Amino acid sequence: MRRLMKAAVLVCVSLATPGPAYPQKATEQFIPLGQSPGASGKVTWIGEIVGTDPAQRTLSIGEAQGTHTVKLTDKTRIFLDRSKLKQSNVTGSIADLQKGRRVEVKYEGPGPTPAADWVKVEISQP
Amino acid sequence: MRCPPNAGRPNRVVAGRLVAIVLATISPLGACMAPRPQTPEEALIARGRQLFFNETFAGNGRTCGTCHREERNFAIDPTFIASLPKDDPLFVAEQQPALKQNFENPRLMRGQGLILENLDGFDDLANRFTQRGVPHVLGLRTSIASPQGPRTGWSGDGAPADGSLRAFAVGAVIQHFTKRLDRVAGVDFRLPSEDELDALEAFQLSLGRQADLTLPLPLKGVVAKRGQEIFLDNTLGKCNICHRNAGANATLGPTDAGNANFDTGVEDLPDQPADLTGERMPPDDGLGIPGNRTFNTPPLVEAADTGPFFHNNAIETIEGAVGFYDGEAFNNSPAGRFLASTDPDGEGIELDGTQIVAIAAFLRVINALENIRSSVELLTRSAAMGFSERQEGLRLLRLAIHDTSDGIVVLSGAGLHPEAVTDLKAARDLAERAATSLFGRRRTTREAIQALERARSQMIDAQP
Repeated sequence: MRRLMKAAVLVCVSLATPGPAYPQKATEQFIPLGQSPGASGKVTWIGEIVGTDPAQRTLSIGEAQGTHTVKLTDKTRIFLDRSKLKQSNVTGSIADLQKGRRVEVKYEGPGPTPAADWVKVEISQP
Repeated sequence: MRCPPNAGRPNRVVAGRLVAIVLATISPLGACMAPRPQTPEEALIARGRQLFFNETFAGNGRTCGTCHREERNFAIDPTFIASLPKDDPLFVAEQQPALKQNFENPRLMRGQGLILENLDGFDDLANRFTQRGVPHVLGLRTSIASPQGPRTGWSGDGAPADGSLRAFAVGAVIQHFTKRLDRVAGVDFRLPSEDELDALEAFQLSLGRQADLTLPLPLKGVVAKRGQEIFLDNTLGKCNICHRNAGANATLGPTDAGNANFDTGVEDLPDQPADLTGERMPPDDGLGIPGNRTFNTPPLVEAADTGPFFHNNAIETIEGAVGFYDGEAFNNSPAGRFLASTDPDGEGIELDGTQIVAIAAFLRVINALENIRSSVELLTRSAAMGFSERQEGLRLLRLAIHDTSDGIVVLSGAGLHPEAVTDLKAARDLAERAATSLFGRRRTTREAIQALERARSQMIDAQP
């Protein structure tokens, strides 16, 4: 019985995927900035990029409530939202996180510097 | 609107006048039989139904119902696909030049019932995709909740945004409804509004069972009864560990893991039908980008009439699906090795042919019992509808006929409960008669319900 309990705990950790629910990131790419149902404005910040720190891999966003900083991890996906130009949204890179650009950042995890799940960068100029 | 001329058709003129007189005479009665007002929840579900089956979201012509067919238990399979006309929106990749490449693989869709998904991203459409079957959407009320949040779709990450069932339609529109592969919102489709998402969620949650079974059931058939015992035996079948009460939720030791993801090794099955076609089938890595090879646990009550089975439609029959857990692909997988680690003899799942068939018989019987439950509910609702709701009553009757037919197929496919099958056939005949009856619809519908009850009593003792 003890063996079963121990194994059960192990399997809870290894098989039943831990952490929060796992929203799909693939189709997220094509949802325009600010329009992700249940996420936009609730677990996202929408504002302008006020700074990046390549060494620390952080991104700071200024919005009405103040400035927020998020960590960019290997799992952070960056999307270029070109829907205002009627063009297809594409994936981007850290190089696209330029100061002054309007972004939406979905954050996850606790603490003052949560990880960014994804960043949408609004591209409004051709 | 101008009426068509009736010249040369005197009989029709007379008949039309007669009908007008009759309608005028009974109109006060019609008013008395007006449909009762809907509750806000019923109205939301009705709106969700309308959206699910009719709304194309300004896309390529598909709706949610294109793949999730109500008359096919909200799923789709090659036999049904073969019955569709060439211009069905399911086949947009064959009809619309902009979708000819990298949107679907028509051969795999028609032959294996597989739908293309770009779950690992849209950067390399020619090489990065998966091919998955269409899961039914019955019993969602009981089958997507986990301690970590909702798990939708085959790998538990079917929905973008907040990952909820409510947001699922957004991802579906982007993946499946687009006019072009550019997938520009407002150009190639429109995204569902917040109100529409509310309605779609309410509709989907209203489908099928609203609660899990409580096993064991007092089954009468000896094979199904033995199958239930094996199913529940955590040292033999071990099915109930991940499919508690034949649903979609796991109990891992002392922990209610809810609707969980597991790597059961389905991807490692040899000779998968889709692979045998020679068509390109990249490995499906399951949940996440990159994936962790885990897939979400589906409920089993609805399994027997919603095959083919597993995320890639790898196995056609319910017996084959149960037999999978006795094979090397499963027992060498992380899930199989976990079960072996809890077994005194170090075995994962080891079953003989008769035991596999017994578990499948159990699954067939509980599926048929669900068919009966659903049919009775549909017929009861249909019988309660007045003259002014006749069309809705007929729609419910037709669905009940489909459900009852499924029960017949599910039982007779394994030679189970022949007497119950006879009663189910009688119920279906009565429901068909009710659908064409002008004055005896309610009475005939009630007789159909009685036949269904007789069928149920052949399969299970009355429960307190």
